[in-house]
Amino acid sequence: MKIRSLALLLLTVIFVFGCSSKDKSEKPKIAVVVSTLNNPWFVMLAESAAKNAEKLGYEAKIFDSQNNPAVESDNFENLISSGYDAILLNPTDSDGSISNVLKAKTAGIPVFCMDREINADDAATSQILSDNYSGCVSIGIEFVKELKEKGNYVEILGLVGDNNTWARSGGFHSVVDKFPNLKMVAQQSGNFDRNKAMEVLETIMQANPDIDAVFCGNDAMAMGAFQALQSAGKAYKVKIFGFDGAGDVIEKIREKKIVATGMQFPLIMAETAAKYADEYFKGRRDFPQRVPVEVELVNAANIKDY
Amino acid sequence: MKKRYAYILGLLIVLTLGYNSVYFKKLSVVKAATKENFDFKAYADSIYYKGILKSKKITLGDLTSLMQSNPETTFEKYGNRLGIGNSAYFMIQSTGKIIDITDGLYTIADEKNGIVYIDTKYIFGNAIRDASGLVKLTDFKTNAQFNKVSESLNDIIRNDVIPKEISKVKLGDSISFSGAIKLSKKQNLREKITVIPSQIKLQ
Repeated sequence: MKIRSLALLLLTVIFVFGCSSKDKSEKPKIAVVVSTLNNPWFVMLAESAAKNAEKLGYEAKIFDSQNNPAVESDNFENLISSGYDAILLNPTDSDGSISNVLKAKTAGIPVFCMDREINADDAATSQILSDNYSGCVSIGIEFVKELKEKGNYVEILGLVGDNNTWARSGGFHSVVDKFPNLKMVAQQSGNFDRNKAMEVLETIMQANPDIDAVFCGNDAMAMGAFQALQSAGKAYKVKIFGFDGAGDVIEKIREKKIVATGMQFPLIMAETAAKYADEYFKGRRDFPQRVPVEVELVNAANIKDY
Repeated sequence: MKKRYAYILGLLIVLTLGYNSVYFKKLSVVKAATKENFDFKAYADSIYYKGILKSKKITLGDLTSLMQSNPETTFEKYGNRLGIGNSAYFMIQSTGKIIDITDGLYTIADEKNGIVYIDTKYIFGNAIRDASGLVKLTDFKTNAQFNKVSESLNDIIRNDVIPKEISKVKLGDSISFSGAIKLSKKQNLREKITVIPSQIKLQ
């Protein structure tokens, strides 16, 4: 009886540790957890992060959180139990994602945030983020000059739970609000989504037909705003401002249909996150908690450089 | 007997599932994330009056000649860039004569550097904070708080300091000035240089 019990115990121990331990010769695995794969900008960020990880010799897999912190939480559960060694994360929510990052930290897995910030400075190993605020200060100054300090405008925000939304809006308003003849007639969320932004602006224009400008929290929404204005026959009358540096908006700036955008550098953020994971595996531990990545203003004056 | 083992096993499964499906966070951690009782105005006052005004600045003439001879070392030694990017902020000082004033933009014939612009209208963003090199990103919990330092600093300069100083100067006056400039590594130094002022004084 005792021998049978001992054998059973031994088998259990082998089973448990056999499942969780890793063959030392196996390549470390890097998980790329992205907020959504429904937006080409994030697809580019995720694919670039995975490619950079593979280039450095690691196995990489992309997990889609579908803009939902609960799905992100499931992704974290899966990748922690699957034995991933590092996570390159584009969070879904600046507060809601903290517990997921802490779960990974408790499991001894470093997390490197890309593009979106979480509201904690002791959870992620490092956060590589666009300097959204400074980028939108530049857009705000351009906005004031283009409108000659006067007019009615609409702001279409991104996801309300995302810090980038408020950093962009904050940078923009830190300038524009100092000019009392610029009046914001409506501020509404377009969820960073082109179709949603189009619908939002169409509805806003029913109550406020005389607007002079639209500031959008990203370029997808700027394209949605352009579509709405084009349908209403106002595409050339209303000045549109975006943020991201997406290819279609750069073309629209060249055609003078959109005034300006802030050029972000997702490839640099993805490359830096993968490089940091590599350095972590090689023993580095002193990472800066936040690494801002410069955003460049793109307008008619410098469009030839892009 | 067998039933008892089945109950114990069932209880263990329920406890394991229950434990893994609920996560607790300390209230102090949640509160700390949202707490914002920091006095940004007082902090910015001390950075401006005790730090920026008293700090040693490179002259614009020295900076441009160093940039031409050794840009990498000059960026490293005198430039301040937080994170990754092609440009950096520099805190400079210089002198010159006011040759035009249009909508808050002062055109200065700088004795050594040709034409330089001082923008007294658009004092926004992180230029002054970053050029000073006196505020660290790690001193603040979030980027939002870090950016509030810039807003408070800009408010002091834009609302209190510069209006008083420019009320004493007029077209044709010779002035000394200091402030922040942004230079890119790929920038042609003969292009327009715009200073976000931290101080303007009649000479």
